[in-house]
Amino acid sequence: MIKVKNLYHSYKKDDIYQVKDVNFEVEEGEIFGFLGPSGAGKTTVQNILTGLLEIHKGQAEVAGYDMKNISKDMFNKIGMSFEQSNVYSKLTALENLKFYAKLFDVETRDPKDLLKLVGLEDKANMRAGEFSKGMKHRLTFVRSMINNPIMWFLDEPTTGLDPSIAADIKNIIREKNKQGVTIFLTSHNMFIADELCHRVAFIVDGEIKLIDSPRNLKLQYGDKMIEVDYIKDGENINDSFSTILNEDKKKLKEIIDNYEIQTMHSKEASLEEIFIKVTGRGLV
Amino acid sequence: MFKKIWTIFLRDLKVNIKDFLSLYILLIPFLFAIGINLFTPSINDTTVNLAFIKEENNQLVTYMEQFAKVEEFDNLETLKERVERRDSMIGIVPEEGQYYIMIEGNESDMDIEYSKMLLGLYETGLNIEDSKTEIIEFGRTIPPIKKTLVNTSVLFISILAGMLISLNIVEEKVDNTISAINLTPTSHNSFLLGKSIIGIIFAIFGGLALVYITGFGAVDIGKILIIISVSTIISILVGFIQGLINDDIMTAAASIKLLFLPLIAAVLAVEILSEKWQRFLYWNPFYWAYKGNDLVLNKSGSWGQVLIYAGIVLFLSGIVYVFLAPKIRKGLE
Repeated sequence: MIKVKNLYHSYKKDDIYQVKDVNFEVEEGEIFGFLGPSGAGKTTVQNILTGLLEIHKGQAEVAGYDMKNISKDMFNKIGMSFEQSNVYSKLTALENLKFYAKLFDVETRDPKDLLKLVGLEDKANMRAGEFSKGMKHRLTFVRSMINNPIMWFLDEPTTGLDPSIAADIKNIIREKNKQGVTIFLTSHNMFIADELCHRVAFIVDGEIKLIDSPRNLKLQYGDKMIEVDYIKDGENINDSFSTILNEDKKKLKEIIDNYEIQTMHSKEASLEEIFIKVTGRGLV
Repeated sequence: MFKKIWTIFLRDLKVNIKDFLSLYILLIPFLFAIGINLFTPSINDTTVNLAFIKEENNQLVTYMEQFAKVEEFDNLETLKERVERRDSMIGIVPEEGQYYIMIEGNESDMDIEYSKMLLGLYETGLNIEDSKTEIIEFGRTIPPIKKTLVNTSVLFISILAGMLISLNIVEEKVDNTISAINLTPTSHNSFLLGKSIIGIIFAIFGGLALVYITGFGAVDIGKILIIISVSTIISILVGFIQGLINDDIMTAAASIKLLFLPLIAAVLAVEILSEKWQRFLYWNPFYWAYKGNDLVLNKSGSWGQVLIYAGIVLFLSGIVYVFLAPKIRKGLE
């Protein structure tokens, strides 16, 4: 669905590239996570793939369309949910969706159904300017579904949402993916990527450092740990031990044999920890 | 394509009706027209109005009707009330077998002298047939100040059309919605045309409303439409540019106001300067638009003349378009 080859981009159109030699492919029906800290080049790549930015060097193909020579018809097939909400504040939620729907050449979804999907049905006739940040974000999110896209770009889809709404959004993403929609998810939130993505790419300073599935990454880079709470000399102690290092294994056995264990959990390395390990950079 | 252009126009119209500043701009042609009617003399003010007491001297009234517009009142009190109104009305009031002239004080000296003369002519028994004087009417049926104001206002409305577009573009920028539009199959040209329609319709309907309300309804509508349409192009272009480079409504509106300078310069040049100095304003599209409008409002311009003026305005606007169009397209990316 997406093919990117030797992609470069410079905002100043000089030799200092913000995106350098990016290569990857996204299969049809896949949820592909594009992960990295702020300023890593995630949004730049996404904007190139949605036609908002031009390609300076390299090649990109989205849904069968060459991004160097974009056909307007491509926009009937893609949808994009922006990180920053961008809806008309002087129009109501319903008017926003109805207006946007009329700009497509394909059959569009019923705006009322979409509002219901994200719990905004009661606010349909309220001006978007009076919405909270989270409500605007939900409106921006469902607007991106209005043309039934087969390729769906999501930029930080759950940022700023309370946990229950974020869970609803994640369920919608899963549901759309089950229906065959390919999803390109940009985020610095490793938890959502871990939950949703089939594969992830780590991008830092405009370069992709690694692409793999979260499971493979954990197997390859994550040390399995055991977290133990035990009582020693009347004192409650919490400690972690590697299941790979012999020294840690011995220590753990000694604790089990000699002390009263309160709780004991196995703990996998998180995607965030792996990102730091691989790239040497945090996600902020 | 047309469906999308229309959709964009309807959205702008909906928002403009909800927004106080835009709504105020939409009402300006009507406010201007009412203001012009109130504060400029009407066609009736070009003759002398005389007030008499009813049945007091029918012969005198019949005599005066040959030379002036006459109104009759039931008594001295109502006559006095009429004279005291704002416009020019002179009372001819009987007193002890003679007549005196009653005025409010704002009547012109010419009207007062004319009334005195008419009264003298009646008393000496002279009739219009005795007169050897020939009165030539130069075809001037509208006061020149009114025509100047209407002409200037029509061009002013075209600038407001640019301001309206600018406000709508700033709204798109503030809400960050242009990027969302760019992710639909709507082309830049459709977007630009859709955004322009509100300005074009406002300039045309506002201009026509002003022309009709101020009493110029008998002019050739086709000719005035041509001049209004071409003179709006430059305002629309500037409206787009100012909308794209400014981040708030007030700054954009203030920037658009700069267009009033060439407009005022054009009006002053045509009305005050001699022909040889006017050549310094040939670069100014408003100069040619004003001259074209003047011909149309005078009902003295042929289609050929109007098309020449419209062509010059179109040419000058085309030059501005060549410079501004790439900037507008870049601003929409």
